[in-house]
Amino acid sequence: MGVHVFGIRHHGPGSARSLSLALAQLAPDCVLIEGPPDADPLIPLLGSEAMQPPIAILIHAKADPTKAMYFPLASFSPELHAARYALSRGVAVRFMDLPAANQLAEDDDKREKHERRLRRDPLSYIAEAAGYDDSERWWEHMVEERQDGRELFDAIRYAMVSLRRELAWDAKLDVREARREAYMRKVIRAAMKDGHEEIAVVCGAWHVPALIELPTQKADTQVLRGMPKTKVESTFIPWTHGRLAVESGYGAGVRSPGWYQHLFETNDDIVIAWMTKVARTLRDEGLDVSADHVIESVRLAEALASLRGRPLPGLDEMNEAVRTVMMFGDAFPLRLVRQRLIIGEALGGVPGETPMVPLMRDLAKQQKTLRMPAEATEKEYVLDLRKSMHLQRSVLLRRLDLLGVPWGVGGDRGEGLGTFKERWQVCWEPELAIRLIEAGAHGGTIEAASSALVKERAAKEEDVAELTNLARRVILADLPDAVGPTIDQLEARAAVAADLTHLMAAIPDLAQLVRYGDVRGTDTTVVAHVLDDLATRVCVGLKPACSGLGDDAADEMFTHIMNVHGAIGLLGKHRESWLDALYAVAKADTLPGLLRGRAVRLCFDAKKIDREEVGRRFSHALSTAGEPSRAAAFADGFLRGSGQILVYDESLWSILDEWLDGLTDDAFVPVLPLLRRTFSTFTGPERRQMSERADLVRERRVVEAPIDPTRGMAAMPLVRTMLGLEP
Amino acid sequence: MNDKLVIRQHAEEQFAEELENLAKNDDRKRPPNWRLSPAATLTYILGGKLDDGFEVSAKYIGDRRLIEIAIATLATDRALLLYGVPGTAKSWVSEHLAAAISGDSKRLVQGTAGTGEEAIRYGWNYAKLLAEGPSPTAMVSSPVMTAMREGALARVEELTRIPSDVQDTLITILSEKTLPIPELGDEVQAVKGFNVVATANNRDKGVNELSSALKRRFNTVVLPLPDTPEQEVEIVRQRVEALGRALEIPAEKPAMAEIRRVVTIFRELRSGATEDGRTKLKQPTGTLSTAEAISVVSSGLALAAHFGDGTMRAADIASGITGAVVKDPVQDEIVWREYLEAVVKEREEWRDLYRACRDRM
Repeated sequence: MGVHVFGIRHHGPGSARSLSLALAQLAPDCVLIEGPPDADPLIPLLGSEAMQPPIAILIHAKADPTKAMYFPLASFSPELHAARYALSRGVAVRFMDLPAANQLAEDDDKREKHERRLRRDPLSYIAEAAGYDDSERWWEHMVEERQDGRELFDAIRYAMVSLRRELAWDAKLDVREARREAYMRKVIRAAMKDGHEEIAVVCGAWHVPALIELPTQKADTQVLRGMPKTKVESTFIPWTHGRLAVESGYGAGVRSPGWYQHLFETNDDIVIAWMTKVARTLRDEGLDVSADHVIESVRLAEALASLRGRPLPGLDEMNEAVRTVMMFGDAFPLRLVRQRLIIGEALGGVPGETPMVPLMRDLAKQQKTLRMPAEATEKEYVLDLRKSMHLQRSVLLRRLDLLGVPWGVGGDRGEGLGTFKERWQVCWEPELAIRLIEAGAHGGTIEAASSALVKERAAKEEDVAELTNLARRVILADLPDAVGPTIDQLEARAAVAADLTHLMAAIPDLAQLVRYGDVRGTDTTVVAHVLDDLATRVCVGLKPACSGLGDDAADEMFTHIMNVHGAIGLLGKHRESWLDALYAVAKADTLPGLLRGRAVRLCFDAKKIDREEVGRRFSHALSTAGEPSRAAAFADGFLRGSGQILVYDESLWSILDEWLDGLTDDAFVPVLPLLRRTFSTFTGPERRQMSERADLVRERRVVEAPIDPTRGMAAMPLVRTMLGLEP
Repeated sequence: MNDKLVIRQHAEEQFAEELENLAKNDDRKRPPNWRLSPAATLTYILGGKLDDGFEVSAKYIGDRRLIEIAIATLATDRALLLYGVPGTAKSWVSEHLAAAISGDSKRLVQGTAGTGEEAIRYGWNYAKLLAEGPSPTAMVSSPVMTAMREGALARVEELTRIPSDVQDTLITILSEKTLPIPELGDEVQAVKGFNVVATANNRDKGVNELSSALKRRFNTVVLPLPDTPEQEVEIVRQRVEALGRALEIPAEKPAMAEIRRVVTIFRELRSGATEDGRTKLKQPTGTLSTAEAISVVSSGLALAAHFGDGTMRAADIASGITGAVVKDPVQDEIVWREYLEAVVKEREEWRDLYRACRDRM
């Protein structure tokens, strides 16, 4: 008779087992569970056969789906077992946490702050005191060895009461916690008023002390007064074990859901069953694992546990045994075990009558309006961006791609399609649905989620080239909210980027965007601003960046210079300062010949310097005082790609010709490969013209040779005879 | 007996007092023929305070879990393979394991390219063999065979240096726990407590990979290089002090500052980056293990004692470091020069070391 509070650990398999036993023993007529009461109408669905955990209750604000809360339930979650127990006995069951309607009405900042403060698991204090560095492990060891329900919960109560006393925890210091506990008490009081006699309260262990003794109703009403409220919608969504593991930022996550499920489902021989699973997984990957390995792993795990004074091997002992026995000390394959087994790849399922995920609903809606049904076979779309519907399709595909849901692949301007057409290969795979669910953590609509995801990624990304790529994709995906942060981050990273080549690599993409963005009607002024910034930096830093480069690095720089040159030509802006920068490179004797040669050439092509100066620089670089390899590099830089200039400019031709002529055999042989490479980049007709020209020069040289009268005279008698002048 | 004349005592002699006290305080269950329980063995290796207040020194500084796995492996009757780059205290751990568990670390097979089957199984005294024909007295027992008879731990050092066909003679011993002697129509059956601790390294040139049949019979524990600079400095300090005592080097205790410098240099070159992560470095061909750091410091100490004023200074360690880093006269010399110019020279308080090293190039 009365209220029985069961302190559990969320997703604790031991708790679930003990709780089931305790509930069966108690036979309560009302079960209250720590969970969002907004989802009370959904509770009966938990009893459905089609409800396959892991699942999560998703509650989001009606007005703004990006404001959402998840309440995951795994097959080993005590909350789920409590609910199913109540449903099977036809006993009243209710959630009793502070409604999401109130929690979601708070400001985002405030909520985040709360969450951060709560991150530290209270149990970790006790675990630490017991000499464990990990509260999950501590809980496993303390809970797993006990199968006797009630006593365990008594022990938890004592521990928590003294913990809260030790920490001098005062609910008043944390308004949200205080409200939650006040609300839980309110629900308990209501249940008592309803005439329930044996009330089972299932809550996180931490809250137990607050729910044992009920203060006056008035005090709680005071705490709960004046809370903001918003309209919310709730649904069940399939969840994955991967999401259950902490990464999604969900506070009460577990690091090893797969292992917990194993602990919960296996009654005897936990170690043997686990090792067998590990062996099978490794064998599936083609690793050679024998039954003998399994036996020895089990023995080692058990020996380790006993050496460490533990009744049963825990996950640590298991992993160490697997690594030592099966993997020959190699830690790498353990990652596989971790992904497949320890976390697990389970995906839940929800009954058909469940309301749908917001992202799925959004996608379905857009698929309908854009007449792009999800199909399992690949289909090609050629989108003409001048048409509104086609543009929207492209935007949708690009947003999904940013969300990590690659429904369509491609999207580059197709060959022969012009600048306003894109080609996509579109194919729906079932796993994309999972990705969409995962992406659902970022927002309730495709636009909001992709925007939020991009912002998150941009904030973390440090690589300038990656950021540029991201910026390009964001702009093409028409996510105006995310453009600002991405560009800001790009600017910030570009400002501190030490390597100029990264900045240079970023320019062509951005220039394309500024130039061709118009077709899509996107606003590219922000990009133009960053581009100005980048271009200025590159112009200033070009000369220093060219110094001290080895052959490979100079080659790389050569490509960058060409790309930037092309991009700047596309823009029309910055031309002057870029040419100045190139000219500075051209003038600097100490820089790699390849780059200087190219700088001279580009300056000449742009009419920055005249023919005469080119001749001077060319002959200076090729003068015999210089090292032949450097001279050859200069020629390479100057000529690579096109030798047309040699055909038409006689002075350059002769400078090169004389230089080649003047090389000693020793010097000629080393530069030969380089020259050959340079000349091989010319087109066939160019080479033919050059060879003709070379012949011509040679002929003229022969003609110009002075006449040797003595040798000439020697032939005279014969000529005379032939002409019949002499008999 | 004549303890003083021995350069290096066996672990069980050097730490006899500790072992005795551990055995006295040890009330846990011991596996058959073990001198200490697994828990006491762990204390012996990692150090700690006994119930009666006796202080046990730490023999291994590093991950406790690894040593636990090693001991648990031996307790389950599986052979143990300690694997890792040179200088990660593999032999050291194996010697102390044998000393603690069997009270005897001398059942040792040193693996070389010339190690033959008789070093692992048994050989013959040929004079007797010719005179008497095959008989138990003509047979020469190997350390492994002796260990089998006594129920002790046998150690195989540098397992991967032993030719593959000889390595494989261990397979029968490990799986059947018997050693047949067909010449006598007899066999030696391993007494409980027998096991093999082997060490092998994965970095040296000229190693013979273990066959997978043999690999399967070992539990493998990979000993890593020390995690933190503090750990490594502590290892070098302890070992150098112990060596100094053994060699009766009259110099002062090695200055921590010098040890820290040597360890820093080794760690930076090994990882290919400075400790602050700012500068990328070329890596030398050698392994630059902790063991080499120990020998640099102890030879520096000897130099200081015999030719200097007894205090180890930069000049005393300079040639040791250069020798340790420059293993390949061409490649490593460039690496070392670059490091000197880019890192050592830049560090204000390292000027003396920079000059000393430059002088030796």
